[in-house]
Amino acid sequence: MMGAPEAFDINAVKGMKFFDPHVHMTSRTTDDYQAMADAGVVALIEPAFWLGQPRTGLDSFRDYYSSLIGWERFRSSQFGIKHYCTIGLNSREANNESLAEQVMEILPLFVYKEGVVGIGEIGFDDQTAAEEKYYRLQLELAKEAGLPVQVHTPHRDKKKGTQRSMDIALEHGLDPYSVIIDHNNEETVKEVLDRGFWAAFTIYPFTKMGNERMVEIVKQYGAERIMVNSAADWGISDPLAVPKTASLMKMRGLSDQDIELVTYRNAITAFAQSGQLNETDFNAQIDLTRKFEGNTILRGGQQPRTDKSSIIIS
Amino acid sequence: MRENHMKAVKEIIASVVKNNIDLVTENWLEEFILATDQPAQLAKVFVMLPRKTGKLPVAITNDQQEILHAAGFGYIRNWTIDRLSRVWLLSTLNSEDKDTFYSTVDRLFLAAEINEAVALYSALPFLAHPEIWVKRCAEGIRSNIGSVLEAIIENNPYPSGNLNEAAWNQLVLKAFFTEKNISSIIGLDQRANPDLALTLIDYAKERWAAGRKVNPQLWRLVGKFINAEIFETLKVGLQHYDQIEQRAIALAISESGYQPAKDYINTFPELKLALADGSLNWNSF
Repeated sequence: MMGAPEAFDINAVKGMKFFDPHVHMTSRTTDDYQAMADAGVVALIEPAFWLGQPRTGLDSFRDYYSSLIGWERFRSSQFGIKHYCTIGLNSREANNESLAEQVMEILPLFVYKEGVVGIGEIGFDDQTAAEEKYYRLQLELAKEAGLPVQVHTPHRDKKKGTQRSMDIALEHGLDPYSVIIDHNNEETVKEVLDRGFWAAFTIYPFTKMGNERMVEIVKQYGAERIMVNSAADWGISDPLAVPKTASLMKMRGLSDQDIELVTYRNAITAFAQSGQLNETDFNAQIDLTRKFEGNTILRGGQQPRTDKSSIIIS
Repeated sequence: MRENHMKAVKEIIASVVKNNIDLVTENWLEEFILATDQPAQLAKVFVMLPRKTGKLPVAITNDQQEILHAAGFGYIRNWTIDRLSRVWLLSTLNSEDKDTFYSTVDRLFLAAEINEAVALYSALPFLAHPEIWVKRCAEGIRSNIGSVLEAIIENNPYPSGNLNEAAWNQLVLKAFFTEKNISSIIGLDQRANPDLALTLIDYAKERWAAGRKVNPQLWRLVGKFINAEIFETLKVGLQHYDQIEQRAIALAISESGYQPAKDYINTFPELKLALADGSLNWNSF
């Protein structure tokens, strides 16, 4: 184990490119984008999720989905980061059935839009019948749309919830290679990989996976079909989780090839099955003179910087 | 039976409220209670209440406290007056027309800020037609706002009395996840069940795999359901040699009827002794 905390030295992974396949930028600040770009994040996926409190009407869903494809994509582009999203009705809000019905009706308007690389994040929260119903309906939608599925596994009763999510996906005839099971841990990873699904890991302080544990998992299971994300959101989280983990992996002796797979390449391979993700789009030039519907992110040349000095996220 | 019991509790609460507010506010509330258009007035009165009552902790006389305590509502003395007044106000609503009653109160839930939500969930045991609030209570458990969760999880008799098993189990799990005071969950031991025990066992394994500690109260909900499979997990816990964890597991085993586990505990002299002297109980964790 460690002595004094090691500093996050970006030089360890300087020149490497990263893909964060799960990060909720809507709830992050502009300086996070800046720090991510500086650390080598070239593209990301923002899954549709909840806002920390339930929405009470259809219009707030519509506006949220629109923002993932609109303003947020633009904001990201201003830092040279290619922004994709997955669209879905999240599990918690599936429990409001009358609203969920209405949301299901508008989903097809969004899932076929350009740059939507999957249905997500969907799955279980407290594993109710309503959650199962809308999970199944959205799996059908994914099949019809030919899109990968990004599955959120529950915080509570995770092992059973993960098994159930996979059982149901198979029952609906989805190819496990098109299903990304997220938020894995030591107790779920083996079965997810054995059954042919992608295993995503969320490096999130206190609650989910720590990156020292992540290093051990890649050492034990290899890099095939494993990917790392930050799931940074409105909680205490770290949008630099992917580059920091890569850096730690480097220091702990993992090969460059394995690091590249789990922090970049695997996510691209998985989500490119949507036909909506192309690596050549990552290198677009930043054009700060562009505007989004007449609006810009620039405010009088402010350059806020963040101090994100510790490498360990536990 | 329940009706009479609750009527007495509500009367005490009414007198506590009146002792803690001024006459102007009391008249204002009386006026609302007599109003014929309550449903139209409720939202405004409910939201405005703290401006009238203030937010000081309630003062309760010893006599009142004794009666409330005996009825299982002693915890009210830790509330502020705005919270208690809101709960009392909701408890007085005309509930004859169930649909109107439901939609009037549900509207408050939809627009509630934190303190309002705390009062609304605190009011569940006092609302008429308890069965119509089950879904709302289950929804509240999905909240990630600490004080709202506490209002549902801690010292609230509504969940154990009304929730189905799935929602109840979710409440207990969420309590562990959000580090609530487990021993303040009303009905905790009575509503222990095998499904919950197995889920908690999985949770404990997950915590161990992550190098994290397990709340000793978790084993309290496992004891009754120990079988060969659960016993294997308990052995892992005992072999961590964390004294608190060991003692909690030993106590759980002592409450079970599973003999192999009891025999196994006897191979730990320290645990055997702790159980034998009778000093170990769930309040000691």
